[in-house]
Amino acid sequence: MFPILVYGGPSTGKTSVTLQVFRHLNRPFIYSSCITCYSPRILFESILNQLLFHRKDSGHSYSSLKRCERPSDFVNYLREALENVITNLKGNSGKVSSKMSGRPDGTMVYLVFDNLECVRDWDKSSTILPFLFNLNDILKMPEVGLIFISNTSPDTYYLNIGYAEPIPLYFPDYTEDDLRHIFMANQTNSRLYASFLDVVLRPFCRVTRQVDELAAAFSSLFKKYSEPLSDKEVAPNEEMKRRLFSHIRPHIASALNETFQVRSQPLLKAETNQETKKTNSSRMPGVREDFDKIDFHMSTSAKYLLISAFLASRNPATLDASLFDSTGVSDSHKRKRKASEKSMDQKEMAEQELLMKGPGTFPLERLLAIFQCITSLAEDSLDEEESHELTVEGGSRGLMSDVLLQLSSLCNANFIIKGGSCPLEGSTRYRTAVSEDLALKVARSLKFPLSKYLYRR
Amino acid sequence: MGREKEKEKLSEKALNLLRSRLSDPNFIFRPLPDSPDSNYSKLKFIISTSVTEACNNSILLLGPRGSGKVAVLELVLSDLLQQYPEAISVIRLNGLLHSDDNCALKEIARQLCMEHQLLFSKVASFDDNSQFMIAMLRECGLAHKTIIFVLDEFDFFAQGKQRLLYSLLDAMQSVNSQAVVIGVSCRLDVDQLLEKRVRSRFSHRKLLFLSPSKEDTERFIEHILSLPMDSSLPHNYAAEFNGRLKKLLSDERFKELIDTYLSFNFTIGHLVRFLFQAVSYMDLSAGFLSLGNFKTALSSNQRQPKLECIRDCSVLELYMMVCMKRLEVKEQASYNFYSVMTEYKSIHDSFQTSDYYAANVCLRAFEHLLQCQLISFIDNKGHNQSVEFRPVKLLISSAELHQGLKSYQQCPAILLKLMDR
Repeated sequence: MFPILVYGGPSTGKTSVTLQVFRHLNRPFIYSSCITCYSPRILFESILNQLLFHRKDSGHSYSSLKRCERPSDFVNYLREALENVITNLKGNSGKVSSKMSGRPDGTMVYLVFDNLECVRDWDKSSTILPFLFNLNDILKMPEVGLIFISNTSPDTYYLNIGYAEPIPLYFPDYTEDDLRHIFMANQTNSRLYASFLDVVLRPFCRVTRQVDELAAAFSSLFKKYSEPLSDKEVAPNEEMKRRLFSHIRPHIASALNETFQVRSQPLLKAETNQETKKTNSSRMPGVREDFDKIDFHMSTSAKYLLISAFLASRNPATLDASLFDSTGVSDSHKRKRKASEKSMDQKEMAEQELLMKGPGTFPLERLLAIFQCITSLAEDSLDEEESHELTVEGGSRGLMSDVLLQLSSLCNANFIIKGGSCPLEGSTRYRTAVSEDLALKVARSLKFPLSKYLYRR
Repeated sequence: MGREKEKEKLSEKALNLLRSRLSDPNFIFRPLPDSPDSNYSKLKFIISTSVTEACNNSILLLGPRGSGKVAVLELVLSDLLQQYPEAISVIRLNGLLHSDDNCALKEIARQLCMEHQLLFSKVASFDDNSQFMIAMLRECGLAHKTIIFVLDEFDFFAQGKQRLLYSLLDAMQSVNSQAVVIGVSCRLDVDQLLEKRVRSRFSHRKLLFLSPSKEDTERFIEHILSLPMDSSLPHNYAAEFNGRLKKLLSDERFKELIDTYLSFNFTIGHLVRFLFQAVSYMDLSAGFLSLGNFKTALSSNQRQPKLECIRDCSVLELYMMVCMKRLEVKEQASYNFYSVMTEYKSIHDSFQTSDYYAANVCLRAFEHLLQCQLISFIDNKGHNQSVEFRPVKLLISSAELHQGLKSYQQCPAILLKLMDR
């Protein structure tokens, strides 16, 4: 058999169709995904483990049967294991019909490699990719079939080194009609859902046509759609459809601007509370109240650290002295001048530059200096308000090691990126990776006036 | 009903027979060595003379992928192994796997041990292995046994320092050995890659494997697709199948089709792959090959992946690509996600389109475009920055984008207008 490359967009059913075909025809196959097997060694060992029926368990402390790093070792072990398996299969096919005994049909073994596009990002991809594509020729065993599944088209795999091209098999994305069929399947009240789809399918298809994203968005929207109905089983007539449409219309616009995520459970409960509040007050279309809160938990000192990092990246270093003087009052009001024509052009150019360059880098000392200024400010303001639930008090004074730990955890969470070290100074520089929206949200949760400190050109 | 089922079973059997034939390289390349000056006979002559006359030799087999170099070599070797069963041992190395010297020597030692039933130790060092190889060469030379080294993907061995090649060829010259080194490669200039000292020890014998002529191709197709008369299939079915096949092959349209295919892919390997696809599309109820099968196989090979990608995009993603095209037209040297967003906003302001979405949705569309490889990052070093700030470039030309927009169902007219400006 010649190797086959199955390709198409995400969530078009490639993996599920392949696996279903194998299960239906009852043929033996080995499945390995290049996302879970993220290096050549893990990929090779996983295939060998499956061929030799070895399961990783706590008995052997989760180790594989054979240690295999290089492609040359892999080919030798693979050949041995495949020959064993094939002789077993040939022996079985001679006996009683395999449908009775539950063993697989046929004498061929298939290797399925899923998510092949991840291999392109590996370190050794220039040797591993041609190796995988040429595996058929290297093994020279006609009883082995290779199937590759990929999200990207075959022309993204062209390399300098040639290889025998696999037979391409294309899975196109679903059209709107197909999507309608997919969503209508398994619905309890099909006429209600059909009227729902009439309303939402077309605008959402303009943004994305992927089934997983649409399913996440539709599930929450359908709950809102069927809210005013007391009886969920009824088939709607024209007048009811119109009512439901006007009910859902403001929500569609806001839902279109959301990224299609599946929300975690506590937030859903919070949403229902907010919903009841909303229905009592007058409804304003397009208002997104739930987006003012950040949906993960951070300690207060981590929040202050994040804000200081954002300010350090956003403002040029020369402004620090004036912005953060001892009284903590920002002086930016003093410097406002009337904007002339030339400075407007310069402003535009500078904005363009800012967009292209992205956030600037800053050394550790500057970050800590800003952090200390901000937290001392916060303490003063909190003292003035005489609030009881102080959490900042213990945090900022003297516990620098705590702050450094927070910094490394922010780096791990990709809020702050650690850049290369500057060769002159020899210290590492950091850079913020959060957007202004997130920084504003965090600042709002601490009641910190972030906009006063932001440098506007 | 019963007859139809019987017919289907017959056609399934015929299909299996054809498919197993097409996947077997031995069958494909056997009809070619009929003539006396073919590559098969030349190769056989060279190797058998070095076996009988106890001399060293080296040769290169060159030709594009799929022209049958390794297949012909295997045929020659199997014939010679039958002729001189005790006098030949074969070591096979592959450049993709064994380009590292340590690896290669370990593999040579392992295969030698397997041939001669010796125990192979996995912890032997590089020096041990090379000494073992030289010792074996000497012993085999004294015993009049020829060792044949087959180096597949020879151009990988010619990278780096070429230590393995040098030690192998040097051993052949200095030690009293009988060895033949056969290099197989797709690069026709691979001997230019060799170092001076290696090249001087290499005899410049080359065999070129070229694609067959047109008449040969036609004869080959007929030979491969005809069902044999003496197989287990009933005689009249096989005769009808072959008769229809002959009529199909002499059809003008079929010849045109094959010509189109071969103008892009001219080796036997490609042709066999095409025939495999066509045969797999055979209609089991009819039981015979038809022109439609070949047409389907041809169209599935002539895909245009970027246009398909564009057809799979959503309207928002099309907007982003048109914005990038406009930025390129404005001669902005490099652009990232935020500059595309400003352009998007300016389009919305000037044309009042209804398709205006927030930044996070657009970022999602942007990442989808990156995944489809319709756009890509300009350099790979920018892992210090997040996705929105790294500069990107479009990977399709404006003509392709234009064609894709035209073939898109329900493409908003504004996009076409913007492209035309």
